Amino acid sequence: MFDFAIAGVQAPIFLLALVGLTVGIVGGFIGVGGGYMVTPALIVFGFPGYMASGIDMTHICGKGLVSTVRHRQLGNIDWTLALSMIAGTMLGVELGVRLLVYFKHLGISGVVLLVTSVALMFTLFLYTQIETNRAHKKMEEMEKAGEELGRELQTSNLPKIFQSIPLAPIVRCRTARVIVSMWVIVLVGMVTGVLAGFLGVGGGFIRVPALVYVVGASTHIAVGTDLVEIVVSGAYGALRHSIEGNVDLMAVLFMIVGAMFGAQVGSIATSYVRGPAIRYILSYSLILATLGAALRLVYVLTGQNVHWLSLAAVMLTLGEMIFLCLFISSLVWFAVRRRGGKWVPDWVGPLVI
Amino acid sequence: MAELHRGKAAFKFCFWLAASVGLFVYIIHSYTSGQMIQWYYYTASLDGYAVDANLSMNATKDKPLVLNIAKQDEVKGLVAIPVAKGDRLPKNTNGVISLAEIKSGKRVTLEGQTIKVTVPWQIKEAKGFKYKDTFKHKGIRTNPWSGAWNVAMVLCLGLALGLVAEGFTDLLGMKIEKIQHGH
Repeated sequence: MFDFAIAGVQAPIFLLALVGLTVGIVGGFIGVGGGYMVTPALIVFGFPGYMASGIDMTHICGKGLVSTVRHRQLGNIDWTLALSMIAGTMLGVELGVRLLVYFKHLGISGVVLLVTSVALMFTLFLYTQIETNRAHKKMEEMEKAGEELGRELQTSNLPKIFQSIPLAPIVRCRTARVIVSMWVIVLVGMVTGVLAGFLGVGGGFIRVPALVYVVGASTHIAVGTDLVEIVVSGAYGALRHSIEGNVDLMAVLFMIVGAMFGAQVGSIATSYVRGPAIRYILSYSLILATLGAALRLVYVLTGQNVHWLSLAAVMLTLGEMIFLCLFISSLVWFAVRRRGGKWVPDWVGPLVI
Repeated sequence: MAELHRGKAAFKFCFWLAASVGLFVYIIHSYTSGQMIQWYYYTASLDGYAVDANLSMNATKDKPLVLNIAKQDEVKGLVAIPVAKGDRLPKNTNGVISLAEIKSGKRVTLEGQTIKVTVPWQIKEAKGFKYKDTFKHKGIRTNPWSGAWNVAMVLCLGLALGLVAEGFTDLLGMKIEKIQHGH
Protein backbone atom coordinates (compact mmCIF):
# COMPACT_ATOMS: atom_id res chain seq x y z
CA MET A 1 0.00 0.00 0.00
CA PHE A 2 1.27 3.45 -0.86
CA ASP A 3 0.11 6.54 0.96
CA PHE A 4 -1.00 9.03 -1.67
CA ALA A 5 -0.79 12.09 0.53
CA ILE A 6 -2.31 14.53 -1.95
CA ALA A 7 -5.30 12.34 -2.80
CA GLY A 8 -5.59 11.26 0.84
CA VAL A 9 -5.88 7.60 -0.15
CA GLN A 10 -3.90 4.47 0.54
CA ALA A 11 -3.88 2.19 -2.50
CA PRO A 12 -1.74 -0.70 -3.72
CA ILE A 13 0.78 0.35 -6.34
CA PHE A 14 0.43 -2.84 -8.34
CA LEU A 15 -3.31 -2.25 -8.86
CA LEU A 16 -2.63 1.18 -10.32
CA ALA A 17 0.11 -0.26 -12.52
CA LEU A 18 -2.31 -3.01 -13.58
CA VAL A 19 -4.95 -0.48 -14.59
CA GLY A 20 -2.27 1.40 -16.52
CA LEU A 21 -1.17 -1.84 -18.19
CA THR A 22 -4.65 -2.93 -19.31
CA VAL A 23 -5.70 0.51 -20.48
CA GLY A 24 -2.32 0.82 -22.19
CA ILE A 25 -2.98 -2.35 -24.18
CA VAL A 26 -6.49 -1.26 -25.22
CA GLY A 27 -5.44 2.36 -25.83
CA GLY A 28 -2.40 1.43 -27.89
CA PHE A 29 -4.52 -0.90 -30.01
CA ILE A 30 -7.66 1.13 -30.69
CA GLY A 31 -6.27 4.62 -30.08
CA VAL A 32 -8.41 5.62 -27.15
CA GLY A 33 -7.38 7.18 -23.85
CA GLY A 34 -9.60 4.82 -21.87
CA GLY A 35 -11.00 7.53 -19.61
CA TYR A 36 -14.36 5.79 -19.39
CA MET A 37 -12.61 2.78 -17.82
CA VAL A 38 -9.98 4.43 -15.60
CA THR A 39 -12.10 6.93 -13.66
CA PRO A 40 -14.50 4.27 -12.30
CA ALA A 41 -11.56 1.99 -11.44
CA LEU A 42 -9.89 4.77 -9.42
CA ILE A 43 -13.14 5.55 -7.61
CA VAL A 44 -13.41 1.86 -6.71
CA PHE A 45 -9.87 2.08 -5.25
CA GLY A 46 -11.09 4.92 -3.02
CA PHE A 47 -9.93 8.00 -4.89
CA PRO A 48 -12.40 10.93 -4.68
CA GLY A 49 -14.25 11.57 -7.97
CA TYR A 50 -12.52 14.86 -8.79
CA MET A 51 -9.10 13.26 -8.14
CA ALA A 52 -10.02 10.21 -10.24
CA SER A 53 -10.88 12.45 -13.21
CA GLY A 54 -7.70 14.52 -12.80
CA ILE A 55 -5.40 11.53 -12.40
CA ASP A 56 -7.10 9.83 -15.34
CA MET A 57 -6.67 12.80 -17.67
CA THR A 58 -3.02 13.35 -16.68
CA HIS A 59 -2.16 9.67 -17.10
CA ILE A 60 -3.88 9.66 -20.51
CA CYS A 61 -1.52 12.45 -21.62
CA GLY A 62 1.61 10.49 -20.60
CA LYS A 63 0.32 7.14 -21.82
CA GLY A 64 -0.76 8.71 -25.12
CA LEU A 65 2.79 9.93 -25.65
CA VAL A 66 4.26 6.48 -24.94
CA SER A 67 1.91 4.96 -27.55
CA THR A 68 2.56 7.82 -29.98
CA VAL A 69 6.30 7.12 -29.93
CA ARG A 70 5.65 3.52 -30.95
CA HIS A 71 3.00 4.35 -33.57
CA ARG A 72 5.44 6.87 -35.07
CA GLN A 73 7.91 4.02 -35.51
CA LEU A 74 5.17 1.90 -37.10
CA GLY A 75 4.33 4.76 -39.50
CA ASN A 76 0.76 5.05 -38.26
CA ILE A 77 0.75 8.81 -37.76
CA ASP A 78 -0.22 11.33 -40.40
CA TRP A 79 1.25 14.54 -39.01
CA THR A 80 -0.57 16.79 -41.51
CA LEU A 81 -3.88 15.35 -40.42
CA ALA A 82 -2.95 15.48 -36.73
CA LEU A 83 -1.73 19.08 -36.79
CA SER A 84 -4.70 20.24 -38.89
CA MET A 85 -7.09 18.78 -36.34
CA ILE A 86 -5.50 20.20 -33.20
CA ALA A 87 -7.00 23.72 -33.37
CA GLY A 88 -10.49 22.34 -33.96
CA THR A 89 -10.07 19.81 -31.16
CA MET A 90 -8.94 22.42 -28.62
CA LEU A 91 -11.75 24.81 -29.54
CA GLY A 92 -14.23 21.95 -29.39
CA VAL A 93 -13.03 20.76 -25.96
CA GLU A 94 -13.42 24.27 -24.54
CA LEU A 95 -16.94 24.57 -26.01
CA GLY A 96 -17.81 21.13 -24.63
CA VAL A 97 -16.66 22.07 -21.13
CA ARG A 98 -18.74 25.27 -21.27
CA LEU A 99 -21.76 23.29 -22.43
CA LEU A 100 -21.30 20.96 -19.46
CA VAL A 101 -21.08 23.94 -17.07
CA TYR A 102 -24.32 25.28 -18.60
CA PHE A 103 -26.13 21.99 -17.95
CA LYS A 104 -24.67 21.91 -14.42
CA HIS A 105 -26.27 25.30 -13.76
CA LEU A 106 -29.58 23.85 -14.95
CA GLY A 107 -29.04 20.95 -12.53
CA ILE A 108 -29.47 18.23 -15.16
CA SER A 109 -25.85 17.53 -16.09
CA GLY A 110 -25.83 13.96 -14.70
CA VAL A 111 -28.79 12.70 -16.71
CA VAL A 112 -27.92 14.66 -19.89
CA LEU A 113 -24.36 13.33 -19.75
CA LEU A 114 -25.42 9.71 -19.37
CA VAL A 115 -28.17 9.94 -22.03
CA THR A 116 -25.73 11.54 -24.50
CA SER A 117 -23.09 8.90 -23.73
CA VAL A 118 -25.50 6.01 -24.21
CA ALA A 119 -27.04 7.41 -27.42
CA LEU A 120 -23.70 8.36 -28.97
CA MET A 121 -21.83 5.20 -28.09
CA PHE A 122 -24.69 2.94 -29.14
CA THR A 123 -25.01 4.70 -32.52
CA LEU A 124 -21.26 4.44 -33.09
CA PHE A 125 -21.33 0.79 -32.05
CA LEU A 126 -24.13 -0.01 -34.50
CA TYR A 127 -22.52 1.77 -37.43
CA THR A 128 -19.04 0.36 -36.76
CA GLN A 129 -20.39 -3.15 -36.20
CA ILE A 130 -22.53 -3.19 -39.37
CA GLU A 131 -19.82 -1.70 -41.56
CA THR A 132 -17.07 -3.92 -40.13
CA ASN A 133 -19.22 -7.04 -40.56
CA ARG A 134 -19.72 -6.09 -44.20
CA ALA A 135 -15.98 -5.56 -44.66
CA HIS A 136 -15.21 -8.82 -42.86
CA LYS A 137 -17.55 -10.82 -45.12
CA LYS A 138 -16.05 -9.20 -48.20
CA MET A 139 -12.57 -10.12 -47.01
CA GLU A 140 -13.64 -13.71 -46.36
CA GLU A 141 -14.98 -13.91 -49.93
CA MET A 142 -11.79 -12.40 -51.32
CA GLU A 143 -9.69 -14.86 -49.34
CA LYS A 144 -11.76 -17.81 -50.57
CA ALA A 145 -11.38 -16.55 -54.13
CA GLY A 146 -7.62 -16.48 -53.58
CA GLU A 147 -7.37 -12.72 -54.00
CA GLU A 148 -4.67 -10.80 -52.17
CA LEU A 149 -5.94 -8.97 -49.09
CA GLY A 150 -4.71 -5.49 -48.23
CA ARG A 151 -4.21 -4.26 -44.71
CA GLU A 152 -7.38 -2.20 -44.91
CA LEU A 153 -10.85 -2.62 -46.27
CA GLN A 154 -13.82 -0.50 -45.44
CA THR A 155 -17.16 -0.40 -47.18
CA SER A 156 -18.60 2.94 -46.10
CA ASN A 157 -19.33 5.54 -48.78
CA LEU A 158 -19.26 8.43 -46.33
CA PRO A 159 -15.55 9.31 -46.85
CA LYS A 160 -16.12 9.78 -50.60
CA ILE A 161 -18.89 12.29 -49.88
CA PHE A 162 -16.75 14.29 -47.45
CA GLN A 163 -13.65 14.10 -49.66
CA SER A 164 -15.62 15.57 -52.55
CA ILE A 165 -16.37 18.83 -50.70
CA PRO A 166 -14.44 21.40 -52.78
CA LEU A 167 -13.84 23.95 -50.02
CA ALA A 168 -10.33 25.48 -50.05
CA PRO A 169 -7.77 24.94 -48.64
CA ILE A 170 -7.55 21.32 -49.75
CA VAL A 171 -5.07 19.28 -47.72
CA ARG A 172 -3.03 16.36 -49.02
CA CYS A 173 -2.33 13.90 -46.19
CA ARG A 174 0.52 11.84 -47.63
CA THR A 175 0.74 9.05 -45.06
CA ALA A 176 -3.03 8.59 -44.90
CA ARG A 177 -3.25 8.95 -48.70
CA VAL A 178 -6.22 11.24 -48.38
CA ILE A 179 -7.01 14.52 -50.12
CA VAL A 180 -9.69 16.43 -48.27
CA SER A 181 -10.80 19.95 -47.41
CA MET A 182 -9.06 21.39 -44.34
CA TRP A 183 -12.49 22.45 -43.09
CA VAL A 184 -13.66 18.85 -42.93
CA ILE A 185 -10.67 17.97 -40.74
CA VAL A 186 -11.14 21.03 -38.50
CA LEU A 187 -14.85 20.30 -38.20
CA VAL A 188 -14.19 16.67 -37.27
CA GLY A 189 -11.75 17.90 -34.61
CA MET A 190 -14.23 20.45 -33.32
CA VAL A 191 -17.28 18.17 -33.16
CA THR A 192 -15.37 15.34 -31.53
CA GLY A 193 -13.72 17.91 -29.22
CA VAL A 194 -17.13 19.25 -28.11
CA LEU A 195 -18.28 15.73 -27.28
CA ALA A 196 -15.00 14.93 -25.53
CA GLY A 197 -15.13 18.13 -23.46
CA PHE A 198 -18.79 17.62 -22.66
CA LEU A 199 -18.44 13.97 -21.68
CA GLY A 200 -15.13 14.60 -19.87
CA VAL A 201 -13.16 12.02 -21.85
CA GLY A 202 -10.21 12.09 -24.25
CA GLY A 203 -12.57 11.48 -27.16
CA GLY A 204 -10.69 8.68 -28.92
CA PHE A 205 -13.74 6.45 -29.25
CA ILE A 206 -15.46 9.23 -31.22
CA ARG A 207 -12.43 10.50 -33.14
CA VAL A 208 -11.19 7.15 -34.46
CA PRO A 209 -14.51 6.29 -36.19
CA ALA A 210 -14.73 9.91 -37.40
CA LEU A 211 -11.26 9.73 -38.95
CA VAL A 212 -12.16 6.45 -40.66
CA TYR A 213 -15.72 7.18 -41.80
CA VAL A 214 -15.57 10.94 -42.41
CA VAL A 215 -11.98 11.77 -43.38
CA GLY A 216 -11.35 8.37 -44.97
CA ALA A 217 -8.10 7.46 -43.20
CA SER A 218 -7.25 3.80 -42.73
CA THR A 219 -7.95 2.40 -39.25
CA HIS A 220 -4.24 2.12 -38.38
CA ILE A 221 -3.63 5.75 -39.36
CA ALA A 222 -6.75 6.80 -37.44
CA VAL A 223 -5.44 5.08 -34.31
CA GLY A 224 -1.94 6.60 -34.52
CA THR A 225 -3.15 10.07 -35.49
CA ASP A 226 -5.80 10.09 -32.79
CA LEU A 227 -3.16 9.36 -30.17
CA VAL A 228 -1.43 12.64 -31.09
CA GLU A 229 -4.74 14.43 -30.49
CA ILE A 230 -5.10 12.58 -27.20
CA VAL A 231 -1.67 13.79 -26.05
CA VAL A 232 -2.56 17.40 -26.89
CA SER A 233 -6.07 17.39 -25.44
CA GLY A 234 -4.85 15.28 -22.50
CA ALA A 235 -2.11 17.83 -21.75
CA TYR A 236 -4.66 20.64 -21.83
CA GLY A 237 -7.02 18.68 -19.57
CA ALA A 238 -4.15 17.74 -17.24
CA LEU A 239 -3.16 21.41 -16.98
CA ARG A 240 -6.69 22.45 -16.06
CA HIS A 241 -7.10 19.64 -13.54
CA SER A 242 -3.66 20.29 -12.02
CA ILE A 243 -4.42 23.97 -11.52
CA GLU A 244 -7.61 22.92 -9.70
CA GLY A 245 -5.48 20.59 -7.54
CA ASN A 246 -7.15 17.43 -8.82
CA VAL A 247 -3.99 15.49 -9.65
CA ASP A 248 -1.86 13.25 -7.47
CA LEU A 249 1.28 12.89 -9.57
CA MET A 250 2.48 9.75 -7.76
CA ALA A 251 -0.66 7.85 -8.80
CA VAL A 252 -0.11 9.06 -12.36
CA LEU A 253 3.50 7.94 -12.22
CA PHE A 254 2.68 4.33 -11.29
CA MET A 255 -0.05 4.15 -13.91
CA ILE A 256 2.26 5.44 -16.63
CA VAL A 257 4.86 2.80 -15.78
CA GLY A 258 2.18 0.10 -16.20
CA ALA A 259 0.95 1.82 -19.35
CA MET A 260 4.45 1.80 -20.83
CA PHE A 261 4.35 -2.00 -21.06
CA GLY A 262 0.69 -2.11 -22.10
CA ALA A 263 1.12 0.53 -24.79
CA GLN A 264 3.92 -1.50 -26.39
CA VAL A 265 1.76 -4.61 -26.54
CA GLY A 266 -1.25 -2.68 -27.88
CA SER A 267 0.70 -0.64 -30.44
CA ILE A 268 2.80 -3.51 -31.76
CA ALA A 269 -0.33 -5.71 -31.89
CA THR A 270 -1.75 -3.39 -34.58
CA SER A 271 0.94 -4.60 -36.96
CA TYR A 272 -0.47 -8.15 -36.66
CA VAL A 273 -4.01 -7.27 -37.70
CA ARG A 274 -5.98 -5.70 -40.52
CA GLY A 275 -8.13 -2.56 -40.13
CA PRO A 276 -11.46 -4.36 -39.52
CA ALA A 277 -9.99 -6.22 -36.50
CA ILE A 278 -9.23 -2.90 -34.82
CA ARG A 279 -12.73 -1.64 -35.67
CA TYR A 280 -14.25 -4.80 -34.17
CA ILE A 281 -12.42 -4.25 -30.87
CA LEU A 282 -13.46 -0.59 -30.95
CA SER A 283 -17.10 -1.50 -31.49
CA TYR A 284 -17.05 -4.09 -28.68
CA SER A 285 -15.47 -1.57 -26.33
CA LEU A 286 -18.24 0.85 -27.31
CA ILE A 287 -21.09 -1.56 -26.60
CA LEU A 288 -19.59 -2.58 -23.24
CA ALA A 289 -19.13 1.05 -22.26
CA THR A 290 -22.72 1.72 -23.43
CA LEU A 291 -24.03 -1.05 -21.20
CA GLY A 292 -22.11 0.37 -18.23
CA ALA A 293 -23.44 3.89 -18.88
CA ALA A 294 -26.99 2.51 -19.40
CA LEU A 295 -26.87 0.74 -16.05
CA ARG A 296 -25.74 3.95 -14.35
CA LEU A 297 -28.50 5.86 -16.16
CA VAL A 298 -31.16 3.45 -14.90
CA TYR A 299 -29.62 3.73 -11.44
CA VAL A 300 -29.87 7.54 -11.52
CA LEU A 301 -33.40 7.50 -12.98
CA THR A 302 -34.63 5.07 -10.29
CA GLY A 303 -33.63 7.55 -7.59
CA GLN A 304 -30.37 5.70 -6.80
CA ASN A 305 -32.22 3.10 -4.74
CA VAL A 306 -31.31 -0.07 -6.66
CA HIS A 307 -27.75 -0.47 -5.44
CA TRP A 308 -26.90 -3.59 -7.42
CA LEU A 309 -27.20 -1.51 -10.61
CA SER A 310 -24.32 0.71 -9.48
CA LEU A 311 -22.28 -2.34 -8.48
CA ALA A 312 -23.04 -4.06 -11.79
CA ALA A 313 -21.90 -0.92 -13.67
CA VAL A 314 -18.57 -0.96 -11.83
CA MET A 315 -18.11 -4.69 -12.41
CA LEU A 316 -18.93 -4.31 -16.09
CA THR A 317 -16.46 -1.45 -16.49
CA LEU A 318 -13.65 -3.37 -14.83
CA GLY A 319 -14.56 -6.59 -16.67
CA GLU A 320 -14.47 -4.71 -19.95
CA MET A 321 -10.78 -3.94 -19.56
CA ILE A 322 -9.95 -7.60 -19.01
CA PHE A 323 -12.19 -8.77 -21.88
CA LEU A 324 -10.64 -6.35 -24.37
CA CYS A 325 -7.09 -7.25 -23.35
CA LEU A 326 -7.86 -10.95 -23.80
CA PHE A 327 -9.48 -10.31 -27.18
CA ILE A 328 -6.47 -8.33 -28.42
CA SER A 329 -4.02 -10.93 -27.09
CA SER A 330 -5.97 -13.74 -28.74
CA LEU A 331 -5.90 -11.94 -32.11
CA VAL A 332 -2.11 -11.58 -31.87
CA TRP A 333 -1.81 -15.24 -30.83
CA PHE A 334 -3.89 -16.31 -33.84
CA ALA A 335 -1.80 -14.09 -36.11
CA VAL A 336 1.41 -15.72 -34.86
CA ARG A 337 -0.11 -19.19 -35.34
CA ARG A 338 -1.24 -18.31 -38.84
CA ARG A 339 2.22 -17.02 -39.74
CA GLY A 340 3.59 -20.35 -38.54
CA GLY A 341 1.16 -22.18 -40.84
CA LYS A 342 -0.93 -23.50 -37.95
CA TRP A 343 -4.72 -23.79 -37.77
CA VAL A 344 -6.79 -20.72 -36.88
CA PRO A 345 -10.60 -20.34 -36.91
CA ASP A 346 -12.04 -19.34 -40.30
CA TRP A 347 -13.41 -16.02 -39.07
CA VAL A 348 -9.97 -14.97 -37.80
CA GLY A 349 -8.14 -15.60 -41.06
CA PRO A 350 -9.08 -12.38 -42.89
CA LEU A 351 -8.61 -10.25 -39.77
CA VAL A 352 -4.95 -11.02 -39.09
CA ILE A 353 -1.73 -10.75 -41.05
CA MET B 1 27.01 -2.70 -39.64
CA ALA B 2 24.90 -4.88 -37.35
CA GLU B 3 27.33 -4.15 -34.50
CA LEU B 4 27.01 -0.41 -35.09
CA HIS B 5 23.22 -0.67 -35.10
CA ARG B 6 23.30 -2.68 -31.88
CA GLY B 7 25.65 -0.16 -30.28
CA LYS B 8 23.32 2.69 -31.21
CA ALA B 9 20.35 0.78 -29.81
CA ALA B 10 22.22 0.07 -26.56
CA PHE B 11 23.12 3.76 -26.20
CA LYS B 12 19.54 4.82 -26.92
CA PHE B 13 18.17 2.35 -24.39
CA CYS B 14 20.67 3.25 -21.65
CA PHE B 15 20.33 7.00 -22.18
CA TRP B 16 16.55 7.04 -22.01
CA LEU B 17 16.48 4.53 -19.18
CA ALA B 18 18.79 6.79 -17.17
CA ALA B 19 16.57 9.79 -18.02
CA SER B 20 13.44 7.89 -16.92
CA VAL B 21 14.99 6.71 -13.66
CA GLY B 22 16.28 10.23 -12.98
CA LEU B 23 12.81 11.70 -13.51
CA PHE B 24 11.23 8.98 -11.43
CA VAL B 25 13.61 9.60 -8.51
CA TYR B 26 13.15 13.37 -8.78
CA ILE B 27 9.34 13.11 -8.69
CA ILE B 28 9.38 10.67 -5.76
CA HIS B 29 11.82 12.91 -3.86
CA SER B 30 9.71 15.98 -4.53
CA TYR B 31 6.61 14.10 -3.35
CA THR B 32 8.03 12.53 -0.20
CA SER B 33 9.93 15.65 0.85
CA GLY B 34 6.64 17.57 0.94
CA GLN B 35 7.62 20.10 -1.75
CA MET B 36 4.83 18.97 -4.07
CA ILE B 37 2.29 19.06 -1.25
CA GLN B 38 3.28 22.64 -0.42
CA TRP B 39 2.57 23.56 -4.04
CA TYR B 40 -0.81 21.92 -3.86
CA TYR B 41 -1.98 23.48 -0.63
CA TYR B 42 -0.77 26.94 -1.60
CA THR B 43 -3.31 29.68 -0.81
CA ALA B 44 -6.87 29.92 0.51
CA SER B 45 -9.50 30.60 -2.14
CA LEU B 46 -12.06 31.78 0.45
CA ASP B 47 -12.32 33.07 4.01
CA GLY B 48 -12.48 30.39 6.69
CA TYR B 49 -10.35 28.08 8.80
CA ALA B 50 -7.43 26.08 7.45
CA VAL B 51 -7.41 22.54 8.80
CA ASP B 52 -5.79 19.16 8.36
CA ALA B 53 -8.84 17.41 6.90
CA ASN B 54 -7.35 13.97 7.54
CA LEU B 55 -7.96 14.48 11.27
CA SER B 56 -11.72 14.75 10.82
CA MET B 57 -12.27 11.62 8.69
CA ASN B 58 -13.78 9.59 11.57
CA ALA B 59 -15.76 12.36 13.26
CA THR B 60 -19.46 11.75 13.90
CA LYS B 61 -22.34 13.66 15.46
CA ASP B 62 -21.81 11.68 18.66
CA LYS B 63 -18.03 11.99 18.57
CA PRO B 64 -17.29 15.30 16.85
CA LEU B 65 -13.77 16.47 16.18
CA VAL B 66 -13.05 19.56 18.28
CA LEU B 67 -10.43 21.92 16.88
CA ASN B 68 -9.03 24.88 18.81
CA ILE B 69 -8.84 28.11 16.87
CA ALA B 70 -5.31 29.49 16.99
CA LYS B 71 -3.28 31.88 14.90
CA GLN B 72 -0.07 30.07 14.00
CA ASP B 73 2.03 29.14 10.96
CA GLU B 74 1.67 25.41 11.27
CA VAL B 75 -0.97 22.88 12.33
CA LYS B 76 0.29 20.83 15.26
CA GLY B 77 -2.38 18.80 17.01
CA LEU B 78 -6.08 19.65 16.97
CA VAL B 79 -5.94 23.19 15.62
CA ALA B 80 -7.83 25.28 13.05
CA ILE B 81 -6.10 28.40 11.76
CA PRO B 82 -8.16 31.40 10.54
CA VAL B 83 -7.30 32.40 6.95
CA ALA B 84 -8.56 35.02 4.53
CA LYS B 85 -8.94 34.56 0.77
CA GLY B 86 -5.50 34.73 -0.85
CA ASP B 87 -3.54 33.95 2.34
CA ARG B 88 -0.70 31.43 2.17
CA LEU B 89 -1.97 28.20 3.70
CA PRO B 90 -0.26 27.23 6.98
CA LYS B 91 1.95 24.15 6.99
CA ASN B 92 0.24 20.73 7.38
CA THR B 93 -3.15 22.04 6.27
CA ASN B 94 -4.96 20.59 3.27
CA GLY B 95 -8.39 22.19 3.28
CA VAL B 96 -10.35 25.24 4.33
CA ILE B 97 -13.67 25.07 6.16
CA SER B 98 -15.46 28.09 4.80
CA LEU B 99 -17.31 30.66 6.91
CA ALA B 100 -20.40 29.86 4.83
CA GLU B 101 -20.16 26.19 5.86
CA ILE B 102 -19.90 27.18 9.52
CA LYS B 103 -22.81 29.63 9.15
CA SER B 104 -25.04 26.91 7.72
CA GLY B 105 -24.21 24.75 10.78
CA LYS B 106 -25.03 21.51 9.01
CA ARG B 107 -21.61 19.89 9.16
CA VAL B 108 -19.51 22.22 11.30
CA THR B 109 -20.33 24.51 14.21
CA LEU B 110 -18.42 27.33 15.86
CA GLU B 111 -18.50 27.28 19.65
CA GLY B 112 -16.43 30.03 21.27
CA GLN B 113 -12.82 29.42 20.35
CA THR B 114 -13.45 25.92 19.03
CA ILE B 115 -14.77 24.39 15.83
CA LYS B 116 -16.77 21.17 15.99
CA VAL B 117 -16.78 18.93 12.92
CA THR B 118 -19.77 16.57 13.05
CA VAL B 119 -20.24 15.49 9.41
CA PRO B 120 -16.79 15.10 7.83
CA TRP B 121 -17.87 13.78 4.43
CA GLN B 122 -20.73 13.86 1.99
CA ILE B 123 -21.60 11.37 -0.72
CA LYS B 124 -21.05 12.94 -4.12
CA GLU B 125 -21.00 11.65 -7.65
CA ALA B 126 -18.61 11.76 -10.60
CA LYS B 127 -19.56 10.30 -13.97
CA GLY B 128 -22.37 8.33 -12.32
CA PHE B 129 -20.11 6.85 -9.60
CA LYS B 130 -20.39 7.72 -5.91
CA TYR B 131 -17.52 8.77 -3.66
CA LYS B 132 -16.91 10.29 -0.23
CA ASP B 133 -16.20 14.01 -0.48
CA THR B 134 -14.38 15.41 2.58
CA PHE B 135 -13.07 18.86 3.53
CA LYS B 136 -9.78 17.95 1.90
CA HIS B 137 -8.96 20.16 -1.11
CA LYS B 138 -11.89 22.43 -0.31
CA GLY B 139 -11.24 26.18 -0.40
CA ILE B 140 -7.67 25.90 -1.60
CA ARG B 141 -5.81 27.18 -4.61
CA THR B 142 -2.70 25.46 -5.95
CA ASN B 143 0.46 27.19 -7.05
CA PRO B 144 -0.31 28.25 -10.64
CA TRP B 145 3.02 26.84 -11.82
CA SER B 146 2.34 23.41 -10.38
CA GLY B 147 -0.03 22.64 -13.27
CA ALA B 148 2.61 23.41 -15.89
CA TRP B 149 5.18 21.46 -13.83
CA ASN B 150 2.87 18.42 -13.66
CA VAL B 151 2.23 18.42 -17.39
CA ALA B 152 5.94 18.92 -18.17
CA MET B 153 6.89 16.00 -15.89
CA VAL B 154 4.27 13.69 -17.40
CA LEU B 155 5.24 14.58 -20.97
CA CYS B 156 8.97 14.13 -20.24
CA LEU B 157 8.29 10.80 -18.54
CA GLY B 158 5.99 9.62 -21.34
CA LEU B 159 8.58 10.50 -23.97
CA ALA B 160 11.44 8.94 -22.01
CA LEU B 161 9.53 5.71 -21.33
CA GLY B 162 8.38 5.50 -24.94
CA LEU B 163 11.96 5.80 -26.14
CA VAL B 164 13.20 3.30 -23.52
CA ALA B 165 10.77 0.77 -24.96
CA GLU B 166 11.82 1.63 -28.51
CA GLY B 167 15.50 1.29 -27.56
CA PHE B 168 14.79 -2.02 -25.88
CA THR B 169 13.12 -3.58 -28.92
CA ASP B 170 15.93 -2.21 -31.14
CA LEU B 171 18.45 -3.77 -28.79
CA LEU B 172 16.68 -7.13 -28.97
CA GLY B 173 16.81 -6.87 -32.73
CA MET B 174 13.02 -7.02 -33.08
CA LYS B 175 12.12 -5.88 -36.56
CA ILE B 176 9.44 -3.27 -36.04
CA GLU B 177 9.09 -1.78 -39.46
CA LYS B 178 6.81 0.85 -40.87
CA ILE B 179 3.46 -0.50 -41.96
CA GLN B 180 2.89 0.00 -45.68
CA HIS B 181 -0.44 1.76 -45.93
CA GLY B 182 -2.15 1.31 -49.25
CA HIS B 183 -5.71 1.35 -50.45
